[in-house]
Amino acid sequence: MCGIVGYIGSRNAARVIVDGLQKLEYRGYDSFGVATNNPRIEVFKRKGKISEMGSDAWSLHGTIGIGHTRWATHGEPSDRNAHPHLDCRGRIAVVHNGIIENYAALTRELRERGHEFRSETDTEVVAHLVEEFYDGSDLRTAVEKTVARLEGSFALLVTVEGLEEVIAVRDSSPLVLGIGDREVFAASDVTPLLGYTERVVYLEDGDLATLDREGWRVYSHGHPVRRRVEHVDWDVETVKKGGFPHFMLKEIYEEPRVFHDTLHGFAASSLPERYRHPPEITVVACGSSYHAGLVFKYLCESTCRIPVRAELGSEFKYFTPPLKGIVTVITQSGETADTLAALKKARAYNCPTLAITNVLGSTVTRIADHTLYMRAGPEISVAATKSFVAQLAVLMRLIDLMRGNDRLLTALEQANTVIGEVLLLDIDRAVEICRPAEHLFYVGRGLFYPIALEGALKMKEISYIHAEGYAAGELKHGPFALLSDQTPVVALCPPGDTYSIMLSNIKEMKARKAPIIGIGASGDRELTDIVDVFLPIPESPELVQLVATSVVLQQLAYRTAVALECDVDQPRNLAKSVTVE
Amino acid sequence: MQAVILAAGEGTRLRPLTRSRPKALVPVANTPILKYVIDALLKNGIREIVVVVGYRKEHVIRYLTEQDLPVRVVVQEKQLGTGHALMCAEPFIRDRFLLLAGDNYIDAASIARIRAERNAVLVTDHPNPSNFGVVVTKDGLIREIKEKPDSPSGLIVSTGIYALDRSFLRYTAEHQEVPDALQAMIRDGTRVVPVRASEWLDAVNPWDLLEMNARLLPQIEARRAGTISRSAKLYGLIRVGKGTEIGPNTFIRGPVIIGEDCRICPNCVIMPNTSIGSRVTIDPLSYVARSLIMDDTAIGSHSRIIDAVVGEACRLQDHTATWTTGAVLERDGGYQKAAFGAVLGDRVCSAPFTVLKNCIVGNNAAISAGNTTVTGVIPDEAVVV
Repeated sequence: MCGIVGYIGSRNAARVIVDGLQKLEYRGYDSFGVATNNPRIEVFKRKGKISEMGSDAWSLHGTIGIGHTRWATHGEPSDRNAHPHLDCRGRIAVVHNGIIENYAALTRELRERGHEFRSETDTEVVAHLVEEFYDGSDLRTAVEKTVARLEGSFALLVTVEGLEEVIAVRDSSPLVLGIGDREVFAASDVTPLLGYTERVVYLEDGDLATLDREGWRVYSHGHPVRRRVEHVDWDVETVKKGGFPHFMLKEIYEEPRVFHDTLHGFAASSLPERYRHPPEITVVACGSSYHAGLVFKYLCESTCRIPVRAELGSEFKYFTPPLKGIVTVITQSGETADTLAALKKARAYNCPTLAITNVLGSTVTRIADHTLYMRAGPEISVAATKSFVAQLAVLMRLIDLMRGNDRLLTALEQANTVIGEVLLLDIDRAVEICRPAEHLFYVGRGLFYPIALEGALKMKEISYIHAEGYAAGELKHGPFALLSDQTPVVALCPPGDTYSIMLSNIKEMKARKAPIIGIGASGDRELTDIVDVFLPIPESPELVQLVATSVVLQQLAYRTAVALECDVDQPRNLAKSVTVE
Repeated sequence: MQAVILAAGEGTRLRPLTRSRPKALVPVANTPILKYVIDALLKNGIREIVVVVGYRKEHVIRYLTEQDLPVRVVVQEKQLGTGHALMCAEPFIRDRFLLLAGDNYIDAASIARIRAERNAVLVTDHPNPSNFGVVVTKDGLIREIKEKPDSPSGLIVSTGIYALDRSFLRYTAEHQEVPDALQAMIRDGTRVVPVRASEWLDAVNPWDLLEMNARLLPQIEARRAGTISRSAKLYGLIRVGKGTEIGPNTFIRGPVIIGEDCRICPNCVIMPNTSIGSRVTIDPLSYVARSLIMDDTAIGSHSRIIDAVVGEACRLQDHTATWTTGAVLERDGGYQKAAFGAVLGDRVCSAPFTVLKNCIVGNNAAISAGNTTVTGVIPDEAVVV
């Protein structure tokens, strides 16, 4: 998903476009660019977030322009691959949202005709095709001919040097026009228009619109058609969340798809040979990513028999990197300062490095030797939800890739449906127990210990309840003294090796009168009988239960925070990615 | 022109298929019913759409967001009737609007007929009028709408699609249900005209989805993505999603739609009027016809699935067969007779050699003994041994 904005009128186009792109940042934020038509084409494009670097583009002059904020699919984010793209002579500028499926064939054809390509994107073919068809006067026909050659889904904006006109095309990707007073806007959705105009025109698939200062005209299959001007009074936040009250909930509900897509997003060749049989592995990460790393430690040690160290990014500087073996870093944003510092240190010690991140082309991907991507899409909420399950998917798949088989992939076959299933779970009674609490304990054993830590972190960061995760066996070495009827405990008690000892731990906690929220396999009568609230996870392989349990804990934190009226998406004192050490 | 789509109700008569989604989100030809309604509006250039959600609202919202559809979502916290649902959208209604149900199929031509009217009800003929609101007309105007009458006075029924204006909200403020409010408005002397629909479909019972599926499948666009074996034989209107594999010697006759990332193993036969969702696996030598199979389901080898609605993530082991008879079913305290093979909820598991004979199996039910013939209605979470 990307976002595009176009403008023609009397304001400074670059400012209008940068302002609009910032509102579209939820659609993608790895790079951005603006082109103005003044009447020469001036371009500014950068890899990075528009919210941080957008004002640099204000230096562009002109009152006609187009812009783009990108979430990379073809070609990594870089200054070069950022839109707008130009033709060979730099006279035609194009921005594009969507995918051009036949771009490889078109690129070949255009190269043979002497066109020079500067980027790795699918979009650049559009600029060259328009150049091919443009006779210097009739831009609309040239764009029509171009569109006829394209397969896939797209929304396009095109502008040409010396021509006071912007052409907008929509086919299967959203595009709306905003109608002002002697000015016209175009954008991927209405958010960039709000604040400038309330009058919009929704283009339909196959529509081509010509925009100039006098107004706008829409054509379909070469013939003029009428499109109604409509009135919108939506607010920006509502549009972005698409109806969900918070981004966090939106992202939680994306998890079944994200887990499935990430898990199936790797070919057997995604992992180079030298990472397959390391003598040892060091995982370095911060926050939720660190907890994902801990899950990997338990899993890898038991399945691959390779020793794994999991370290916090900020503490790694006090340790020596492994003399042999690989260093793996996990960071959603790819910009976490502590993790980057650890990565640089590992590089200095000549360790082979592997990065796991969500953002194509982020800093971490440039420093690490090799990168594996999660396919979570942009995550807006500060509390990590879908990126955590995506990290689990990558790490579980990594074990398959190391072993050269598909065992975990097969075991996880049904994971997306089980995640979907736990989203239906009624957790009202569990929320009622957590809501008034001042302190909460999360306990688990083995693989579920990191999940308990992550559950506690989620609760802390968004509901501001003091929550601590413990290995269930450690409780007796101190924290047990804190237990009372005022300290509810969330106990993770899945079937398996840890079940019976976990059950006796729960009984001990119950004896201290702590209210217990038990999470275990559905149909577990024994557990149901001893806990105050039982949250069942459908019967499934252990790793599926692990992922599903973490989703339940995210929901518990979310619902508790909402019940306490906390600002879920922007918790106090916290930032999405911590870019200072 | 604005439009308000009501998609808050569960659609209890469609159980067990409505456990994880409201009726509006039940897929027919791999597209939720709600999407057909939105498309019909968009084709008429009606862009200001308010969707009222309630039951399993997150799933509806997630679907709408994923599709990037230009709609505004309003939440009805408790399902207190259609009139109340409309009142939830009240702050956004300016003047004239269309009111539609999100769980009935409607085509664009019908919308075109009613959109110009001021106060109108879209009506259609139905062979079983007593399931709907029966419209009584006089002198070309609607006199009365009788909800689900025992002895209907005619075959003309209301489709639940209305052209109204803001003044109607006075009546829904007092009446919980839209038909009651409309009745009150007619009594006050407002002229309400009937407009005939061109195509409108409602699935009252889960097995009605099979007919709806057969009616809507011819609308799909042919496409062959995925990896299709050279020796597979595909005839007719067929749409195959990306990532799907179709094995050697498999025979498919359209209209058939198959979603993304499915695995149709060698030597299967898929006959017309079948919809198969995404990530579905069908093992070798199975035969599927006139069926609606939802996402993530796996069907074992040598199975024979005919006239069946199969929910999400079912696991049917080898040699599972459906058997179409027209037996009488006891359901929700009433008796119904319908000819269909089977209706399975979500996550149903069946052991090898299970025969599903004209039965409805609830969500998460397990048929754990092999060689069993299942008939009648099996409740949710049941274990058949």
